Amino acid sequence: MTRIVSSSARMSLGLFLMGAGHHIAAWRLPDAPQGAATSFDHYREIAKAAEAAKFDMVFLADSASIREFGHASIGSDERAVRLEPLTLLSALSVATDRIGLVATASTTYNEPFNLARRFASLDLLSGGRAGWNLVTTSNAEDGPNYSLDAHPPHAERYARAEEFEQVVRGLWHSWQGGDAFPIDKAAGRLFNPDSLHPLAHRGRHFSVRGPLGVPPSPQGHPVIVQAGASDAGREIAARSAEVIFAAHQNFDDAFQFYQDVKRRMARHGRAPDSLRIMPGVSPYIGRTRAEAQAAFDELQALVTHEVGLKLLQPFAGGLDLRDHNPDGPLPDLPPTKDAIGRQKLLVDLARRENLSIRELYLHIAGARGHWQLVGTASDIADQLEHYFRNGAADGFNIMPPALPRSLGPITELLLPELRRRELFRDDYTGATLREHLGLPRPDLPAFPQSAA
Amino acid sequence: MSRKIALGAFLHPSGHHVAAWRHPDARADAGINIRNYIRLAQLAEAASFDLVFLADQIAVPSSNLDYVSRTTRATYFEPLTLIAAIAAATQRIGLVATVSTSFNRPYNMARYIASIDHISGGRAGWNLVTSGSELEGENFGLGDDYRLHANRYRQAAEFAEAVRGLWDSFEDGAVADDRAAGRYLDEGRVHALHHRGEHYRVKGPLSQPRSPQGQPVLVQAGSSPAGRDLAARSAELVFTAQPTLAQAQEFYADVKARAVGFGRAPDDILILPGVFPVVGRSHDEAQEKFATLQNLITPEVGREYLSLHLGGIDLSGYSDDDPVPEVEVGERGHVSRPLLLLQKARSRNLTIRDLYLEIAGARGHWQIVGTPAAIADQLEAYFTQGGADGFNIMPPSPTGLDDFVELVLPELRRRGLIRDQYDAHTLRGHLGLKIPANRFAAATARPREQALA
Repeated sequence: MTRIVSSSARMSLGLFLMGAGHHIAAWRLPDAPQGAATSFDHYREIAKAAEAAKFDMVFLADSASIREFGHASIGSDERAVRLEPLTLLSALSVATDRIGLVATASTTYNEPFNLARRFASLDLLSGGRAGWNLVTTSNAEDGPNYSLDAHPPHAERYARAEEFEQVVRGLWHSWQGGDAFPIDKAAGRLFNPDSLHPLAHRGRHFSVRGPLGVPPSPQGHPVIVQAGASDAGREIAARSAEVIFAAHQNFDDAFQFYQDVKRRMARHGRAPDSLRIMPGVSPYIGRTRAEAQAAFDELQALVTHEVGLKLLQPFAGGLDLRDHNPDGPLPDLPPTKDAIGRQKLLVDLARRENLSIRELYLHIAGARGHWQLVGTASDIADQLEHYFRNGAADGFNIMPPALPRSLGPITELLLPELRRRELFRDDYTGATLREHLGLPRPDLPAFPQSAA
Repeated sequence: MSRKIALGAFLHPSGHHVAAWRHPDARADAGINIRNYIRLAQLAEAASFDLVFLADQIAVPSSNLDYVSRTTRATYFEPLTLIAAIAAATQRIGLVATVSTSFNRPYNMARYIASIDHISGGRAGWNLVTSGSELEGENFGLGDDYRLHANRYRQAAEFAEAVRGLWDSFEDGAVADDRAAGRYLDEGRVHALHHRGEHYRVKGPLSQPRSPQGQPVLVQAGSSPAGRDLAARSAELVFTAQPTLAQAQEFYADVKARAVGFGRAPDDILILPGVFPVVGRSHDEAQEKFATLQNLITPEVGREYLSLHLGGIDLSGYSDDDPVPEVEVGERGHVSRPLLLLQKARSRNLTIRDLYLEIAGARGHWQIVGTPAAIADQLEAYFTQGGADGFNIMPPSPTGLDDFVELVLPELRRRGLIRDQYDAHTLRGHLGLKIPANRFAAATARPREQALA
């Protein structure tokens, strides 16, 4: 199922924002802004730069706890602090005009009516630029913030997520019909009452009446993004996702994942083009290879042992890695309930490349198990092009190692190289996130834009 | 500094009047047009208002969709996302969003509001309400009992306590940012909450430091005895419907006394009645403006609007000329507003039409139609005679806020009742509210002092 790409096909590119950068030690760089993780000014400047560079979207991850608090030292990790993504993107919607805005929100500790409404509202605020990265919470530490002692098991979380997604999508389809919004002031009629439909959902996890009192946006409804790599995650994605944010270490894994998900889509009656698969990639770019390597080494030298172990701990299946020699091999890990896909990626990596504990955490310090590239713009463009042209990716979610430092190399070196190869747009041609991504607009009415 | 009137700009799409969207100046998309809200917020900010205020309803308000389709009540933004967007377009004005405790979780709520507080540089407030409608409950699979008045307030009190505890997770100085030592946080200054109550268990800590104003301002809007107690215990601002001076004085004195009973100072809690001002250069012009809005109400809208404000009672068996029928206000759903309206109907022998025309603008809030001087006189009376610390201004029409700013504010300023310009950068600063002490810092400070002694 590899595809022949016409000359007009372009990569989709997201910019994944993260405090002072994706590298775990980026906050220690001398030019990292103070308090980057909670600074709106910092995020606004990056979002504007991403828009000027014509990225399809900015992307935000999320977590509803401070990881490892009370278990390991949290003192050396900037990620103990973060803004909430929906509110941050709502504020960014005003500071930008064209770029897509994708926020992660968990189905495990939210209610579908609230999320459907908040994302629909963000979609209208931004003129049709919102996306929802649907995740289940894999972090067991979030549970005690929500009255739970035991974290729900993987299967249960996915069953809830599946129904959650159906409810949200149903609520987004509350409005139907071409003449939904007659807007007749003289007759006192704003919308056609026959166009607004209660959902009346009754399921195992949720009972939701509806309808949703937020009209569809110019792109219909927000783009649904997913990130799960497990079997259940792939199945949900194949049925309902429009973008997948994937984590792969090498071409073969990316290729297999891509082909598997697109095959599964056919079983759900979906066209392969209605889903964009975008692996995460963290690029260290230099004008020379030596310069790129130096940029990488500078950050790696800032990783403390403490923060390195903390990175691995969530995937250790309960084993305390502090009891093991950091320069010895990764011990066999008990199975994890919460992050099956990620644990497998890490263990495979350690075994394949014969990495010690220290080498393994240094390996993921930059991109947390995502794909990492060090080289010239041409080297990196070669890799991305290879994935893109050979059935392993429709685009990439770019994870800048340091912010704002990495923006320069990305926008001034890498993007011009991709443009030279006609792999990335020169300018936006559409107004909505769906239009940027080339995704079909759902059949939903839109509120007249210039209604008087 | 002499005491000044605190001012909120309570924004509704085209104005608070239920028929405002039909006004010639109205844009039909006002409820979903961010430019409309930014214009209004910037107008309020240029006039040094303390805050903008957004209400909420977590359902299309009636199953009678014919009625709903004649209103803007199914076409508006969600308040948390909207207020965050407004934050990015303003610099000084406070930002208060209403969010119900009934369908949210304390950890999520604490995060949303604290994020807005960071994004705005310390200008956020949360108007804590409980929900009481069947339709809202049905969007969350909740049975009728969720509406029980007593339960709702007990749960809300615990919810507020957990949220405020989470807001204290980081002591000042907890973000060390010591790059040389590789120490981002001073871990000893980050605290788990370990809240365990009747309704919630919340471990914490919250993943956010305190903002420049310490904590977001807690606003509350219930006026029943249970609502008053909740406000007196934990709110810093109370938004309330008090249509007469005598009622306002009773409420003001009672809530402040209750606050003192909870060990607080009277100035720790500010009381802002809602005001629906129809301003004209002459009395006749004001009356004319009001008539323009009233004439846009159709009976279908008026009757259903009244029914909803009386707690969802069925008025279909009555004509518009019938007196307002007897209504039982039960233990479920909202209590204060139906009682207020019924009292009004009884005392003045109002028909159904009389009452729906009366609430179509202000929904039971204080309504003043008049000249700038007449309106200023009344606001001054409330403010100086123990009825209010300020007002939440409810613009009637698309240009209602412009009218208030242009005509009434100069009059209030001339009388020395409002500030000329901002002298602070946070919402607490505008309102003169203290930065709350961090409970964990206070707890750890005591042993240290003892050790020194």
